Amino acid sequence: MFKRTMGLLAMIALLFTTACTNSGGDSSSGSSEGSDTLTMWHIETGESEKALEDAVKRFEESHDGVNVKLVRQENDPYKTKLSVAMGGGSPPDVFHSWGGGWLENFVKADQVKDISEDIDTENYLPSALTPAEFDGKNYGAPLAMDIVPVWYNKDMFEEYGLEEPETYEELLSIVETLRSNDIIPFSLANQSKWPGSFYYMYLAERIGGPELFNEAFNREGRGFDDEAYVKAGEKIRELVEMNAFPDGFNGMNFDTGQSRQLMYSEDAAMIIQGNWMLGTTRADMPEFEEKLGFFMFPSIEGGQGSKQDIVGGVSPVFSVSKKTDNPDLAAELVNELTSKETAQQLANDDGAISAVKGVEYEDEYVQEINTVLEEAEYMQTFYDQTLPPEVAEAHLDTTQALFGQSMTPEEAAKEVEAKAKEVLE
Amino acid sequence: MQNSANKLNADDDHVYNPPKPGRLSKPKKSRKKQDFWVIIGFLAPAMVIYALYVIYSIAMTFYYSLFEWTGIDSTLVFKGLENYITLMSDGVFWTSLQNNFLLVGASLFTQLPIGLIMALLLFSPVKGMRFFRSVYFMPFLMSTVAIGILFIYIYDGNFGIINQFLGQIGLESWQRGWLGNEETAIWAVIATVCWQFAPFYMVLFRAAIVGIPEDLYEAADIDGASPRKKFIHITLPLLIPTIITSSILSIIGSLKYFDLIYVMTDGGPNNSTELMATYMYEQTFTNFNMGYGSSISFTMFIIAFIVTAFIVLFDQKRKGAN
Repeated sequence: MFKRTMGLLAMIALLFTTACTNSGGDSSSGSSEGSDTLTMWHIETGESEKALEDAVKRFEESHDGVNVKLVRQENDPYKTKLSVAMGGGSPPDVFHSWGGGWLENFVKADQVKDISEDIDTENYLPSALTPAEFDGKNYGAPLAMDIVPVWYNKDMFEEYGLEEPETYEELLSIVETLRSNDIIPFSLANQSKWPGSFYYMYLAERIGGPELFNEAFNREGRGFDDEAYVKAGEKIRELVEMNAFPDGFNGMNFDTGQSRQLMYSEDAAMIIQGNWMLGTTRADMPEFEEKLGFFMFPSIEGGQGSKQDIVGGVSPVFSVSKKTDNPDLAAELVNELTSKETAQQLANDDGAISAVKGVEYEDEYVQEINTVLEEAEYMQTFYDQTLPPEVAEAHLDTTQALFGQSMTPEEAAKEVEAKAKEVLE
Repeated sequence: MQNSANKLNADDDHVYNPPKPGRLSKPKKSRKKQDFWVIIGFLAPAMVIYALYVIYSIAMTFYYSLFEWTGIDSTLVFKGLENYITLMSDGVFWTSLQNNFLLVGASLFTQLPIGLIMALLLFSPVKGMRFFRSVYFMPFLMSTVAIGILFIYIYDGNFGIINQFLGQIGLESWQRGWLGNEETAIWAVIATVCWQFAPFYMVLFRAAIVGIPEDLYEAADIDGASPRKKFIHITLPLLIPTIITSSILSIIGSLKYFDLIYVMTDGGPNNSTELMATYMYEQTFTNFNMGYGSSISFTMFIIAFIVTAFIVLFDQKRKGAN
């Protein structure tokens, strides 16, 4: 009897101790571990990751006793991870974004610090700042910019007597020639949906002109169900019917390299991808670089957009979360991460186009890309980053369905417009 | 689900070990009271965790499902049952529900039989069975993400070994991008799920077969029963409790399934491989619809709950009839 009571007491005591240790543990979780530790989330790989690491080293050297935990996240799940961390109240101190509607969501939820006072806006290209500017305040500092050209295999073009196209008709005849030689014209890995979105954005812009998206986004004038969008959808259908893409492209994944492999193995001749393609090629298969050429998406006869208009975006943009324990340190870290030194290193090693002023390009590719960017009359920022998440998802889903031919262009356009009406108005 | 599994194990014990007579059968009243507190004492830690992480979470999921909420914002807008009404007219949800039941069917009618066949094979008098035992079990030991990526490459339309193999044997017309095609994607993923989980049931069945008393077979030998008869009249009937446990595990597992779909197709192309769990994830974390995502979660819970209750009830009836 006595034994049993003792046993019971011991049991209860155990319960209490475990309960206590649990609550003790809670206080240590949070945005940062010590007062002088900053956590930073990014998605860079290869040379660009190295540039960030070096920037962090410089920061740690100039700030005694400050420790920065650099955490690399995988590209596609990153968005989810960050929103979970934000929702759970333990966000990283500094984090990566692309600006646009996605970042705005966090700004609206009062999760992002206004860093207008902390950064010198003069240091950055104005067009690179806008994606992270809401109500005239800066919520992020940009490091690099992306543009999306059409990459092609120069050797293969030569072999089949092809030249960089000036018009869309010429592009279509290239597709035909390649197909008849059993070459996949465009490599595309559309499981994650954004690679297919490039086609839709370009086609819509070339047909409807640069103002099309802004009108639809700002709900002034044309909408997402405008004829130009329907026509863009029809052009995608046409490409699919011409067999311009690899088999099963809607199930292929860019992150696991499935579309790039087709380029490297010379089974495919072209790919529409961001200029990060250059950095990834250097990491994946350096000897392929010399075969790689690019041209801008050609204009469409009768369309309002010109070949000079580019689709692009800003990435990475670094922001500071409002819940950080060290807002000033975090802002200083952002300054170091987007310093001219970091940008220069990124441009030299990764072939990135800088969002920071005064960077000189050594690399001939990058010089060329930079020229394109300078000559550009208009930059169409990525839909899926500019639009609020729900509309972005509708755009991506319907575009994938268009490619998969399970939706007509009209249906796709109507669905995006309906979502836009619901969310944006 | 944890709960129901425990319950089932208890049922299994019941079949194998008939209640022991003696000491425990006639407890004194005070003793019973003492036992009660001791039992509570031992159960309490588990109960606290269970209540916090299961019961509380389910209640909170229902609570959140009544709101429109981004999940990161501090403002919750009360909507009543509106999320559920939207859900009922959401085509993607119905597709995902249908896919979940496809998966349930595939699990029951492929994973379990294959698991059973593999388990029986392990008892065949062939040399080197130990080796096969490890090989058969291997898929279950691999990490799901690794399996997913492995099969992404296997199903690849251009480099994948399936298409290469079809080309070798002259079936070029069957070649396709398995995961990129709306008609084949779900089957490709289901096949992978079965590949991963069949070994798990093999282990369960193997353990159950080991537990069958040898003398039953000896008696059957004396009566001159054929191996087939021995299987039908001894092995199979004694495996029924295990089959039922496995069925419940597999049904509930399939209703909540998430991992491989997320890795391999992310619900695409065009939502053709969407499951309730992946759709819930997409709504909650990609589209910032915590409220709507919660309503999907809760519906999932209700469906799994009803199905489980139904099976348990059915099982009890069966036992009563016996």
